[in-house]
Amino acid sequence: MKILLIEDDTQVAEFVASELSVAGHDCRREARGDVGLDVACASPFDVLIVDRLLPGLDGLSIIERLRQRGDQTPALVLSALGDVDDRVKGLHSGADDYLIKPFSMAELLARLEVLHRRGAAPGADTVTSLQVADLHMDLLRQQVARQGKALNLQPREYKLLEYLMRNAGQVVTRAMLLEHVWGYRFDPQTNVIDVHVSRLRQKIDREFDHPLLETVRGTGYRLGPETKR
Amino acid sequence: MHPVEVLNSLTFRYIAKYVAVLSASVFLILGAFYVYFSYTSFRDLGLSVLEELQTLSAVYSSESLQGVEHYIDAQNAVPAVHRFYYLVSDAEGNPVAGNLPPAPRYSEFDDGWLGFEMALRDWGGPVDVDFLARPIALGDGYEAIVARSYADIVDRARLVFSNLVRAMLATLLLGIIGGYFSAARALNRVERINRDLARVIRGDPGQRLDVTGEKGYVRALVLLMNEMLEQMESLMQGVRRVSDNIAHDLRTPLTRIRNDLTQLRDQPQPVAREELARVIEECDDLLAAFSASLRISTLESGSRFAATTQVELQRLLTDVVELYEPLAQKRDIRIALDATGELLCPGESDLLFQMFANIVDNAVKYTPDGGEIGVRLRSDADGNCLVVISDTGPGISASERKNVFRRFYRVEASRSEFPGHGLGLSLVQAIAQFHHGSVDLGSANPGLQVRVRLPASLSPPRSDDR
Repeated sequence: MKILLIEDDTQVAEFVASELSVAGHDCRREARGDVGLDVACASPFDVLIVDRLLPGLDGLSIIERLRQRGDQTPALVLSALGDVDDRVKGLHSGADDYLIKPFSMAELLARLEVLHRRGAAPGADTVTSLQVADLHMDLLRQQVARQGKALNLQPREYKLLEYLMRNAGQVVTRAMLLEHVWGYRFDPQTNVIDVHVSRLRQKIDREFDHPLLETVRGTGYRLGPETKR
Repeated sequence: MHPVEVLNSLTFRYIAKYVAVLSASVFLILGAFYVYFSYTSFRDLGLSVLEELQTLSAVYSSESLQGVEHYIDAQNAVPAVHRFYYLVSDAEGNPVAGNLPPAPRYSEFDDGWLGFEMALRDWGGPVDVDFLARPIALGDGYEAIVARSYADIVDRARLVFSNLVRAMLATLLLGIIGGYFSAARALNRVERINRDLARVIRGDPGQRLDVTGEKGYVRALVLLMNEMLEQMESLMQGVRRVSDNIAHDLRTPLTRIRNDLTQLRDQPQPVAREELARVIEECDDLLAAFSASLRISTLESGSRFAATTQVELQRLLTDVVELYEPLAQKRDIRIALDATGELLCPGESDLLFQMFANIVDNAVKYTPDGGEIGVRLRSDADGNCLVVISDTGPGISASERKNVFRRFYRVEASRSEFPGHGLGLSLVQAIAQFHHGSVDLGSANPGLQVRVRLPASLSPPRSDDR
């Protein structure tokens, strides 16, 4: 994945860039906002990582200008702790996701993968059904079946599975699940998500030979086999 | 104290400026007096000359030239300090009477006045004296000039002026001397404060400034500084306590990590992924604790929430309970939600969710299997939102209730039994206060009761109200 990282904090930028290349991504670093915008305009990237406050041009303005030009490259905003309004402002400017520093690299990587896939497959919102291996979800009738056998899911379990299926083959973190399935961004003190996931797992995996829902140690969960980049 | 220091001090410069302005005003007032004095003196002089001319004119018209000569002689015979001088001349300009030399070098003034300088011998030597004179036509071609010296007026004016300057200099001098001593006194007090402060800086945080003998604004300043020192000391102690707690909290996970790593090193076979993953998890846990701590600091130090969004508390609490229900059910704990009414709270939903999630999380954690947790939403007597979350756990003793809001503080009994970093309730309090609300703990006999008060905003009109 080709990533443009616009971040003026050298330490953070170096760390993120090196971790991204370890993960097999092609990362370009810029420290100034205005230069970053030029670079983003000049050549295509798969995902942008933009710091909130930058010399030259701030992160949100970069994304705003790109969107004005019709550039829909998925963008993730990094913001320092503090401003509660950051999320609202960030998503308003056209950013697709945001992370508050300090963040874990696993969280960033998982979010980048999801953003990348969403960017690469536009129109995913208009599909009427989802299929992962032998697991089928009918989005119109809100029914789930595995190997043709209907599964009875609670509304929250259904939403949880839908999110996992939409991002099948990708690692999704617990924070991402909370954010997209429950609609809140917060840090749970305990493994409250795990209980929900294990309930879902019981319903979709227990009576079948090969499990689909896998726990990724230290990061989160993945539905279906890992997709190769 | 060095005099230069005093002269450079703010107090002295202030006083010097004040004295300068003061003496300038003294000079202005006395100067106005001087001008007025000179003006009236000259006016009186002019009037007396005019009067004398009238007299001469009257004498001439009644007794002709002889009368005038007699009059002048009579006037000159009278000893007077300020005499008039006369000169009467005929049509050809020849002097016929009077004691003025025939043709002094007159200089013309306004309105027919003349001025000249003449050396007088009768004042113990030849002295040049200024005269004011005015001519008048007596008739038959005769012209009379009456002159009067104004040296006395000039002398008096000079006297007034020199006294004026002296008064100003005296004001300046006295002011500056006074200023010097006041500044030195003020500096002495500042010096004392400096000495005391220097002692505090050198590492005696218990040192306070001496208030004895201080009065007025200096006393207020010293008291304020003492208060500041007090607060700084308690803050420093707070920081020390938090860092001690952090160090304490870090030790356990770090020891675990270290043990795991040691085991890995000693294993003959290649490193097991599982073990490494566990170490990484431990590290993540530590990082999360630090993030949480940072987050609390940010919430505590930042500005308060400015109402931009409304949160429907009933929905939010339903979501929290729904999230924690499976976890509770696993241990046979029942969560009873009692939330009715449409209570809206100005707030940030993610933060409020975090707050209630932390409280419910704790409740689930400390409630024994088969216990019960109650979540109740009401509006209190003041119209605020009141959320009461109670459990059937061991509760927190009254003496500990204040402490548990402190960062990294953990009730001794729970330290070993339950995982955690002692940040949950600190965050709860930080979020409540950020929303202009409050949180307090009570007993639910025997469990813990957490009461959260949040400001309510007016409910929007319901559709059936119309």
